[in-house]
This record gives sequence, structure tokens and C-alpha cells, in this order.
Amino acid sequence: MAHFTLTRRSFLATTAAASVSLSMPAIAQSRELVMISNRGNPGQRAALEKIAADFGQSAGVKVSVNNMDHEAHKTAIRNYLVASPPDICFWFSGERMRGFVERGLFADISDLVDREGWKKVVPSMSAVTVGGKQYGLPTSGTLWGLFYRQDTFDEHGLTPPETFEDLLTFGEKSKAKGLTPITIGTKNMWPASGLFDHFNLRINGLEFHQALMEGKVSYTDARVVKVMNTWAEAVNAGLFTQNATSYAWEQAAAALVQKRAGMMDLGLFIKQAFPKDELDQVRFQLFPTVDPSIGRFEDFSVDSIHIPSGAPHPEVAREFLAYFYQPDNLKAYIEPEGNVPARTDVDLTSDPLVAMATDALKQVDGTSQYYDRDTSPDVAQAGLKGFQEFMVHPDRVDRILPQIERARERAYGAL
Amino acid sequence: MTTPRQKMLERWTPALLLAPGLILFFGVIVFSAFRTFWISLHEWDGFGTAVYVGLANYRELWTDPQFWMSLKNNAIWLVVFLLAPPLGLAIALLVNQKIAGMRFAKSLFFMPLVLSLVTVGVIFSWFYDPTFGILAKIFGLFGAEAPALLSSERYVTFAVVFAGLWPQVAFCLVLFLAGLNNLDSEIIGAGRVDNARGWQMLRHVVLPQLKQVSFIAIAISMIGALRSFDIISVMTSGGPFGSSSVLAYQMYEESLFSYRYGYGAAIATVLFAIMLIFIVWYLANLLKNENGA
Repeated sequence: MAHFTLTRRSFLATTAAASVSLSMPAIAQSRELVMISNRGNPGQRAALEKIAADFGQSAGVKVSVNNMDHEAHKTAIRNYLVASPPDICFWFSGERMRGFVERGLFADISDLVDREGWKKVVPSMSAVTVGGKQYGLPTSGTLWGLFYRQDTFDEHGLTPPETFEDLLTFGEKSKAKGLTPITIGTKNMWPASGLFDHFNLRINGLEFHQALMEGKVSYTDARVVKVMNTWAEAVNAGLFTQNATSYAWEQAAAALVQKRAGMMDLGLFIKQAFPKDELDQVRFQLFPTVDPSIGRFEDFSVDSIHIPSGAPHPEVAREFLAYFYQPDNLKAYIEPEGNVPARTDVDLTSDPLVAMATDALKQVDGTSQYYDRDTSPDVAQAGLKGFQEFMVHPDRVDRILPQIERARERAYGAL
Repeated sequence: MTTPRQKMLERWTPALLLAPGLILFFGVIVFSAFRTFWISLHEWDGFGTAVYVGLANYRELWTDPQFWMSLKNNAIWLVVFLLAPPLGLAIALLVNQKIAGMRFAKSLFFMPLVLSLVTVGVIFSWFYDPTFGILAKIFGLFGAEAPALLSSERYVTFAVVFAGLWPQVAFCLVLFLAGLNNLDSEIIGAGRVDNARGWQMLRHVVLPQLKQVSFIAIAISMIGALRSFDIISVMTSGGPFGSSSVLAYQMYEESLFSYRYGYGAAIATVLFAIMLIFIVWYLANLLKNENGA
């Protein structure tokens, strides 16, 4: 459910300010900035509000931050970008951003990016680039992989699996110790598609994965079938949580925290599931290799900040971006969520999880974003549902793949 | 003698009084319904340009297994929700007795009515949780393993309908309690004189007087079954893999997640057509009764 924290007072204040500035244009040019934030983490929300307030003070701008529920924002953004765009909003880079760029809803900020020389310090700038132009700024990214507890592993004499064979043996060992080898909750569907990404990237590589995400390959292709067969092997080996569709990721993560499970495939936000004093036990491992001839390709999803093209105060918004993107401010913003900063000159490695992810990223040969960020929403929805079903009934693959293929054909046309 | 002014007022008053309702009805309901049908003839992602595709969306519905699944689930909802009026009546008869403590019992039965359906959904999903839910604990007492109802394609719809049934029974209970309070005591007295009691009294004296209330309870339960959406959204999001989805939820999913507003509108149109059957039946009955009275 959507819950605007646009309070009545701030609403009145904004409208009052707007009407004052309308009635007395000669006295004061309106220096205002309206921001819609979808940040769910309370620490991050506070950090953002502080940055906004500091900016308002130093630049003499009246800033209002409207907070919105993360899930509700995903649908609301389509409305507000058209109907009443703010000056600043948050979104996901990649295919999800491209959809808006193609409809001319995000402003081109290439000149700002060039002027500030950001390309040199932001390796993931490509994630916000369409046709050579930048339409937003990457803030931080989360690397996906397997998380585990060192103390659980020590207790049961387990080692993190390096290859697919290791993974199967790891499964046998953990089951013998009464652990769920890999805990997963697919109630919200997306966790299953993360596994698809991993297997596809490990078996067919990044180029094929991207072609598939862009609708250039059929889902009934033999290479996709091969991915599903390997994945089915893992499912049939009992590697994953029983009745996974009953649980959201938080409940699945609880099994890991409570030492009832061996590992979990997730992003860095797994941090939220752990009590603070147990975080030092958390370890990170890249997903095991399947085909050793294929490079290390990973899901690294990048969040970003944008100026809608209909922003009422685009100049102030650019000023704000320049301020927000200063290393110190960006650091303050990312620190609470514990993701990998987009700027290389922001160092968050004091957070052990970020340090592990940053380290792991050094071995990575190339990245995609995440299944539902990389492909069209229609295909993503069909895929998410299909993969959720697949993890319960791997034998239905002959029905599931054509079903996703139908959506692919609808979105990208026949091949 | 009436002045022209009065005459004018006389002529316009009914129109003015009807205007707010009519404007709302035509603006919010009739216009939207036609507009939905119009959108259903297009392929539209919600903000780009809509492309006219004729009946293609309906043809696709026909071949979409998810549509048939949703339709089947709607049918299950309808059938199970028909239990609400008799259950409501039974409980109403029970709590209508003048026995000490009945007020307390009554308020317990009322309770789901004051809860939002979302709350009911959350409570029931905890109840069904296969690890820490009450259901799992009850099964555990007998050394059995509870089925993960919300993960089971076969049982998930029934599990959700059952949760939805709880407040619906309470609603019917309230209707019947009101009806029981309006019973004509003279007729009941006459029944007593004729030595009617128990089942006979209920069947031949009480129930005929509750006909109107029963009709409303049934009609509202059926429309409620077709409208079901919130509790599904909370408990399962239509899952696992769409096996608990209903038309209303599928419409929402197609429009807002897959960004296929045209297809979503086509589902909405089908749902509207189904509801129309019940609405027409309801209205026809209502008019017949009004004319009869």
C-alpha cells in the first residue's frame, strides 16, 4: 500500500510557497527542489534528508523530500513522471531506466557528467548511458552471490562450494547435518530468477545472457534448456528450501541467521536480516562455476538518481546532483544500506560486507543487473512466475519455457 | 397560486437532487466501464500511444492458461462464499438467544468485521505458516507435518477463500441479526398459538420473514466473491505461480506489473460482464419487490 509521508504541513507549506512565488515573481525567483524518494532503509532516509537539508541551507533552496514506499513507488513513478514530475527521483538503472529514457521522461545530464569529470571515477556509468548520453547517476550497487555464516560452517565442517559438483556435495553434507543447503523464499518470485541469472551466466556467459534479456534469443533455445536442466539437477538434489513459495526473502534469511540453513543467494542487503553483533560471522562467496571455460559474470544491480525531463526546477536539480554526488555526501547516503559505492573514490570498506563484495568484484569479468531489471517488464513478469513454478515442478519445463517465450515474442517480436 | 419562479423550482428540484448521484454514477461508473472496454481494444503500456488491435486481447485471453485458472478460482470463490449466508444465519440464531454471556459471544463473532481484509489476510498467512503457524503446531501435536497450504497449487485457493469467508460470515450475521430483530412478534405469537416450535417455527414462520435479508446476503456475498482482490494480494500475490489468482488480481498484475493495460482492461471487461449477471439479477429482484410493495 502506498503511504506518502507527504505530511499535511509540508504540503501546505509547499503550496503556500508556490502561491507566494506565483503572486510575487518580481521579489523572489522560486528556489525550490522537490524530491521523491523510495528509500526504505530508515538510516538511509535520514541521511538523504540531512543531505537535502544541508543543500537547502547552503544553496538557499527550499527542499522538500517526499518519501514513498519502495514497492508502491515502482508503479507510482509511471504516473508522476508524466503527470507531475518532481525535480529529483530515484530509480533503477539498466533496462528499467531505458524504458523511461525512450519515452523522453528522464533528462539528459551528459553535460553535467562531463563538466564534473565523473566518468573517470564511476566505472558503472554505462548503466545509466543510453546512446552515449547519461540520463542519471549511479549511486551504489549490490553484488549478488552466496552468503553464509562462518560459525555455522565451522560447526559442521563445511566449506564454500567452488564448482557445481562441490555444490552438490555441499548439499549432501548439509542435509546430513540437518541443514537446508540453500535457503530461498520465492513468495515474491524474484529470488528464483536470481538463480536463473547465475546458472545462465555460468553456462552460457554474459553475451548470451544479454542477448536473451534483450529478446534476441528464444526461451526454447537449446542453450536455455541446458540451463534449466542443470538447475533442475540442483532442485532435484534437494538443495533448496521446501515450500519455498510460502516464504518471503526475509523469512528465508531468518533460517540462515538462526543456523538452520547453509547458504543463501542474495544481494548485500542480506545485512538487514542479521543482528548487528552477528554481522562479523557473515561471509560472501561468488556463485560456483559450472562451465570452467566461461568467465566470471555476475549480477551487479545499480541504483540510480535521476532528473525527470519535466522537472519544474531543472537548474536547482542539477545543482543538487552536483552536491549530492560529492564523495562525502554520497558516502553518507550509501553507508546505511551497505552497498558498493558507484564512485571509486568513496571508500566504504570499513563495512566488512562491502569490503568482501568489493574484493569479489575484482575477479569479475563483466556484469548484468538482475533478471527483472534487464528485460522488458512483461517478459520479466512471465519469467519470474515461470521460474517460481520451475523450482517447485522442474518437470514442467516443457510448459514453462514456451509460456515465457510467448511473452518474449509479444514484447520483442518473432525471431 | 404558483409564481413562475415556484413552477421552475418545482420542475428543477428533482433534477437538482438527482444530479450529484447521476454525475457520480455516469462519471465514475458508466464512463469508466465504457472507457475500460475501449482500452481493451488497444495495446497500451500505460503512457505511450495506444495501438488499436481490435479483439486481439480477447483472443489472447481465450488461449491464456492463466485466464482460465483465474476464472476457475473465481468460480471456487463464488461457490464457497455461498456458505456465508447459511453460516451467518446459523450463528445469528445462536447468538440471538437470551442467554447470559451472549453479548460477549456476539461481539466475538462481530470482530472480523471491524478488521480490514488486509489484516485478516496477514493473520491467516501466519496461521498457515508451515514452520511456526498454529496449523503447523496443531498438526505437530499429532506428530503429523502440516501441509504448506499457501504453497500448494491444489489447496491455496481454498485456504485463501476460507480466510475471506470469515469476515463475510460476520457480515451476513449482522444482516440476519438485524432481520431477526425486525420479526413481527404477532406472527410469531400466532405460530406459538398454533403450537409451532423448533424447526417448524424456523422453517415456516421465521425464514419467510427473512426472505428479503437472505436475498441481500446472497447477492452481496456473490458480488464480494467476484470482487476478491485485497486478501489474495496480501496472502499469496496470486501465487504460487498464479494458482490462486482471480480475474481481479490478474487484471492488476497484467496492468501494473507487465504494463499491459489493454490486456488488463480486457480481463476487467470480462469480469464486469460476469458481475453484470448478478447485478441485473439483484436489481431485477429489488425492482420486483418495490413494485410489489
